[in-house]
Amino acid sequence: MSAVQAALAGDPVLAEHYATFRANAEAALDPALVALVRDAVAAVHGMARAPDESMLDDRTKLCLAYARRMPFEHTAISDAEASAVTAHLGEAGYVAFSVVTALADAECRAAMVDLPGLAGA
Amino acid sequence: MSTIPRVSSAIAGEPAHFGSVLAHQPAIAESFFALYGRFWGSDVLAARIKEVARMRNARVTECGFCRNVRFDKAVAEGLGEEVVDDITDGYETSDKLTDTEKAVLKFTDALIHDPELLTGGAKAALQRHLTPAQIAELGLGVTLFLALAKALITMGLEPEVMDRTVLPTPAVLEAAE
Repeated sequence: MSAVQAALAGDPVLAEHYATFRANAEAALDPALVALVRDAVAAVHGMARAPDESMLDDRTKLCLAYARRMPFEHTAISDAEASAVTAHLGEAGYVAFSVVTALADAECRAAMVDLPGLAGA
Repeated sequence: MSTIPRVSSAIAGEPAHFGSVLAHQPAIAESFFALYGRFWGSDVLAARIKEVARMRNARVTECGFCRNVRFDKAVAEGLGEEVVDDITDGYETSDKLTDTEKAVLKFTDALIHDPELLTGGAKAALQRHLTPAQIAELGLGVTLFLALAKALITMGLEPEVMDRTVLPTPAVLEAAE
């Protein structure tokens, strides 16, 4: 359970809406890619070990390189980097990837301020 | 930062903007707008407070679209431009922002920028001014504002130029409930 979901324990309706949105975003991508993206973003924040990329194909590595830029370099991501991810995932996949990656970053940050603790969850 | 869309619109006849691009993923779009409507429709935390946090996020993440949009519910609650102008570095000394809003801004900065900013004093101030339920809702909001802004920017959906625009506050669609 993410820090945001944990913090929303006192508001089941809002928690359910958030869980549905998060689940729908993740369901649009390969679950293995979602897990790798979450680990890659968490590693940038020092919250997890970086995923082992030795067995990954080049296209997946491109996606992870892109994901790692989301926490601190989102304005520097180039057209070429975005185009490479879109070529791999398609336009609809790139949209889902953008949402999942940005949400992974935001959820890490919510955990780092101990949102559940602040919210008394 | 690109102002040329990196994704096409999925809605015929509409330019690429957040809604038309998200339409490539209807399930994500539907659940996002249901969530966002529920969040803004809740009165646990005043819309003015939510908008203060959203404005701060817009400035820190450099989201021009977010920065130029105002939601009407917050405007009706007294969030005028003279207050918004103070949501910048040095907001701690503003005489237009309330102490609650300053505590909210410190929390927002901590979440979107540097968790070390939430010192013991800042944390105590946040918990003095807001209830746990309000903090949970604020945390959800800042999480969504940040993710939304970064997704929007990285998909190349930043406008080249944009006037300040007051929009209806997102609301729950009856049919979606």
